[in-house]
Amino acid sequence: MKTSPDDANQKFTVELIKGALNASRREMEALITRTSMSPFIREKKDFFTAILNPQGELVVSTSLTLAGNLIDSILESYPLHTMKNGDLYWYNDPYFTSGAVSHLPDMVFVMPIFSKARVIAFVECWGHLWDIGGRVPGSISPNAKSVYEEGIMIPPVRVIQAGVRNEEVFRIFTRNSRFPEMLEGDLNSLMAACQLGKKRVEDCLTVYGENNLELALERTISQTEAALKSQIDQLIPDGEWAFRDRIDSDAVSDRSYYVDAILRHKRGELTIDFTQTDKQAVGPINFIMDESVPKFMLGLYLTHGMDGVIMNAGFTRALGAIKTSPGTLLAPNSPAPLGLRSHTMFRVNSALFGCLAQAMDGAASAASSVYVLYYLRGKRQNGGEDLCIEGLSVGYGARNFADGLDAVYYVAQENYPVEFAEMEFGLEIEQFSVHCDSGGAGRYRGGCGIVRDVRVLLNEMTLGIRIDNCRYPAFGTNGGMSGMPGGVIINPGTTEERRIKPLSDGTVVKKGDLIRIITPGGGGWGSPLDRPQQDVLDDVLDGYVSIKQAKNQYGVVLSDDGLAIDLYETRKLRASRPRAPEMFHRGEYYNAEDDRTPQNQ
Amino acid sequence: MANSRNQFAIAVDIGGTFTDVVIADRDKNFFFVTKTNSTPLNPADGFFNAVDSALKLCNASPEDVNIVFHGSTVATNAILESKGAKTALLTTKGFRHVLDIGRAEIPREANLYGWVKPKRPVQPRDVFEVDERVRSDGSVARLINKNHLEKIVKKIADGKYEAVAISLLHSYLNADHEKQIYNLLAERFTNLEISISSDVLPVFREYERSMATVMNAMVQPLVGKYIRQLEDGLAEKRIKAPLFIMKSNGGVFSPQEAARSGAHMALSGPAAGTNGAANLGHLCKIEDIITIDIGGTSADISLIRGGKAEIANGTKINDLPLSLAVTDIHTIGAGGGSIARISDNGAIMVGPKSAGADPGPVAYGKGGVYPTVTDANLVLGRLPEKLLDGALRLDSKAASFAIKKYIADPLGTTVEAAAIGILAIVNETMNNALKLMTVERGLDPKNYTLIAFGGAGPVHGGQLMRLLRTEKLLIPRYPGILCATGLLSTDLRYDFAITRVQRAGQYNKKEISETFNSLSDIAKAKLKRDKIDPAQCHLKRGADVRYAGQGTELSISFSDGAITSVSIERAVAEFHRTHKKLYNFSDETTPVEFVNFRITAIGAMNHIPQPKLPQSAGVDISATDYRQVVFDMNGPQRTPVWRREDLLNGHQIIGPAIIDQLDTTSIIYAGQRAKVDEWGNILISEVMT
Repeated sequence: MKTSPDDANQKFTVELIKGALNASRREMEALITRTSMSPFIREKKDFFTAILNPQGELVVSTSLTLAGNLIDSILESYPLHTMKNGDLYWYNDPYFTSGAVSHLPDMVFVMPIFSKARVIAFVECWGHLWDIGGRVPGSISPNAKSVYEEGIMIPPVRVIQAGVRNEEVFRIFTRNSRFPEMLEGDLNSLMAACQLGKKRVEDCLTVYGENNLELALERTISQTEAALKSQIDQLIPDGEWAFRDRIDSDAVSDRSYYVDAILRHKRGELTIDFTQTDKQAVGPINFIMDESVPKFMLGLYLTHGMDGVIMNAGFTRALGAIKTSPGTLLAPNSPAPLGLRSHTMFRVNSALFGCLAQAMDGAASAASSVYVLYYLRGKRQNGGEDLCIEGLSVGYGARNFADGLDAVYYVAQENYPVEFAEMEFGLEIEQFSVHCDSGGAGRYRGGCGIVRDVRVLLNEMTLGIRIDNCRYPAFGTNGGMSGMPGGVIINPGTTEERRIKPLSDGTVVKKGDLIRIITPGGGGWGSPLDRPQQDVLDDVLDGYVSIKQAKNQYGVVLSDDGLAIDLYETRKLRASRPRAPEMFHRGEYYNAEDDRTPQNQ
Repeated sequence: MANSRNQFAIAVDIGGTFTDVVIADRDKNFFFVTKTNSTPLNPADGFFNAVDSALKLCNASPEDVNIVFHGSTVATNAILESKGAKTALLTTKGFRHVLDIGRAEIPREANLYGWVKPKRPVQPRDVFEVDERVRSDGSVARLINKNHLEKIVKKIADGKYEAVAISLLHSYLNADHEKQIYNLLAERFTNLEISISSDVLPVFREYERSMATVMNAMVQPLVGKYIRQLEDGLAEKRIKAPLFIMKSNGGVFSPQEAARSGAHMALSGPAAGTNGAANLGHLCKIEDIITIDIGGTSADISLIRGGKAEIANGTKINDLPLSLAVTDIHTIGAGGGSIARISDNGAIMVGPKSAGADPGPVAYGKGGVYPTVTDANLVLGRLPEKLLDGALRLDSKAASFAIKKYIADPLGTTVEAAAIGILAIVNETMNNALKLMTVERGLDPKNYTLIAFGGAGPVHGGQLMRLLRTEKLLIPRYPGILCATGLLSTDLRYDFAITRVQRAGQYNKKEISETFNSLSDIAKAKLKRDKIDPAQCHLKRGADVRYAGQGTELSISFSDGAITSVSIERAVAEFHRTHKKLYNFSDETTPVEFVNFRITAIGAMNHIPQPKLPQSAGVDISATDYRQVVFDMNGPQRTPVWRREDLLNGHQIIGPAIIDQLDTTSIIYAGQRAKVDEWGNILISEVMT
């Protein structure tokens, strides 16, 4: 098809607007980083920014797979035609908004942008607020049994009306926080970011005109849609694949939970059915999953090597229906608690990749472990409170093109330096190393977790910890093996040695006790027998794989000092080993279908 | 010409493709500039070729040279390409994976499914754990286990290491253990370069400190050898003038210091460019400047506020932290060599892929296939068909063919329209980066002057000032060699920092005083070694301060004189003010902690000014030539062309106009007016706004 020169010019204009929109969003992020108050937003950078079209579809946004249907719930109370220029809406209510936001600390801000009297776009951001009330400081507790214990809930409300802030609403909200000044600082920062984004989009409107802006909003989405559709066409045959993955427990009981996914593809229509997922949990691992979450996971994964693909609603459009059923882990009924929903979100991800692996001859990532957090609370000699909250890194799943990431937490979040932790908290860290052999063996090795030895220096402290993937370690794919579980041991190697539950709170530790926190690894990809011998030797030399596992799992025999490969013995051993009988591995090779039968619950 | 002695300053800036040379005489008001080829395989050859050609240019003899400045990419390339020496890291027991684990982050702009962790410069197999421990208060928990250390010494001997980095926990508080090991290794090995973290960066955060120490150690053998070659070569040429090397922090240091602290040369080249821009600002009395240096593969952006280049306490190289004082430069993948293409899903992209210098743009005829920004500028007539006085001929037909094939035909449009589109996109990319840099600091670009330099800066500057809405654009007399001319206006500069945490309510005046004094002593000793007149030495105090509980610090200045409750209070107040300015809030009720103390030591040197241009007879000067230039969709326009060397102080040119010079072309767009100032700079402003 021949296009006209005018179309061509418009294509360039679209690119200019696209660039400007993306830059506007990054300017919003820069403003939030610069003006927010709490370490959660400013340093841990737990926030999100986006520009949406009038239908509420994401056009440009932060690359996190945690965006919901951000606008519809606002429109229920405030129809489009009632919106005014300068309005700003906010909410943090996951149930009322059907998962537009997935736990209470994430507060959403939205502003409509007008062209004359018509809404032409929305600008949006959310940030994880430090404390919004609830049963504990920081609002999230593994022991919560109801969302009402997790802080104050705000349904969609117009907090700024045509430029005038509703001070009453503001006062009511900040009164509920243990740290009202910090909360107010963060709220101001996030609202200012919305206003900056709005101004930048209005600049685009002035420079390029309404038609071009609307065209750019649409093309930016349709380019992404086209990219994902072509990947689906090329990579996924017609068919149906199912997979189930498991969460160790919900913290308040010992019961494990599962996420179940059925991926169906028929002539370009790709749908996912989560309805057979486990019923909702008593503890806070429930995850109100918006349809965009699994869609963005698939979209980002399938397009990761492509040039110029922007994460947006193109992913949503390219994929068909996502089904969940009420009362399950992914569509819980209020007031099920939600604070630890990341445990379930990571399993949604791995269940999807389990389906993909079956659909694509194994060409999907193995499972990743979910990040770890621990809390140490104690009293200083001067009577002051000592609270240490540290995020710890884990191993991610191996890819079909690269090893899994070793020792990472999550996108854009940094851990505390050891020297900082020792200066600030009543503890000493005696070891911080890679958890050897924890990455699942494979052609590509799963990422390794870490080992952190924490010596308690205060008289008495209470330990809370959240580690998943211990009963059900991250599975391996396409012949790759599962990662190793993590765990917590108090005073290892002494007569006082004891293990505690990896997802628990309230363990009392005393001065001089050593807490060893071991985080789990990611699953491996492809047969370990196919891993180049040199890579195995490198891993041994660098402490990621032991000499023993090099032989047992990879079939690579090393000299006693671990410095050289015994080529003859290695060839013999590798030739004698059987190939993996099944696609997946967790402790042993297994079949995805068998794993879904009732006796395996 | 050379009839009196000791008058020349030579500045040599070595880049990837070209080496820029300036030879200047302060008294006689002249200034020769030239370009020679770089010799990446043996950079010292390129340096001496440059010196030779500088001397030849003004028929000077070696004795006439009284100072030599040098910007070098030797350390930069070693770090970027991981081509440093074989290096071992000695760390505290339990921390063998300190580099590998890092801060456990996945970058914010990364796709987490596709991202791969960057390889560290030293692998864990080359990391050795020393059985020792210092606590977070500086006390020793465990002395060094000497027997165990002997085993490590043996491994270093067996491992054929060329360099060793020593970085132990809390060594910024107590460096005894690092020093003991240093002494032992220095005694046992004669050919080993050793860097210790308490020397390189005595500041808390073990990952960042270890990385800086490792980077320093691994470039050391290379830099040391290079510096010796320079010194020997200069001696051989009977050039007795002192040599100064450009640092990342915008200052220079002596070859002796460079040979110890090579990691400080990581941004040697770009820092000189910012310095050159700051110096122009000083000459023209412009204090607030945004600089953009547009080269072949990338554009470097930096800020000058109140006449001073912004200095940061660290940067990232290939996603790895280098936490040493550096000129705050933001680099984006947009330049003359940026490739334009249409992706599978129909997006038109320009950069960050680049044809670089080799093969370069299609027009260079060196094998480039895909159209670049330079090709687009050429087919629109914005660049001449001959560069470097005809030494480089550009093939406009080939450029046009590439744009037609890869961009215009697939879009169903003309080559001209496609070329205009390519330039619009790359300009927008640069504009977005410029805006982001100012927003991050809460500044309004409108109040700043844009200085555009580098080979492609003057081509794009006029458009960028429009997009950014700055009032003025300054194009230097020699835009292609601002890094070299910047070398002539540097001072010696050392930045020192050390961690000494002071909690609120427990500020220790004695400790703060001793900390500043000991840093000052180190600084003075260095300047003395560099033979700087004490009267020319200036020390500035600073501190990194935070609210209790915060994980990052803010650098503020700290007053001179005795440390008293009043001076500490003043610093605290300064922190609140700075915090408010930068983050829009401050909180006087939250306890304030001092974390690091800093000394910046400046040894002021005589700056060699650029010569002035003679005054013109009037404002008008007639064009020497005309060429067909496309500015917009209205097609080619007969546009007057001037030669830069014909322009004198006071001349004015109204756009549209083209000004060609040896290595670049300045474009004045319609609606803009250019004025030439006494230093030969072109100042551009909008006529009608």
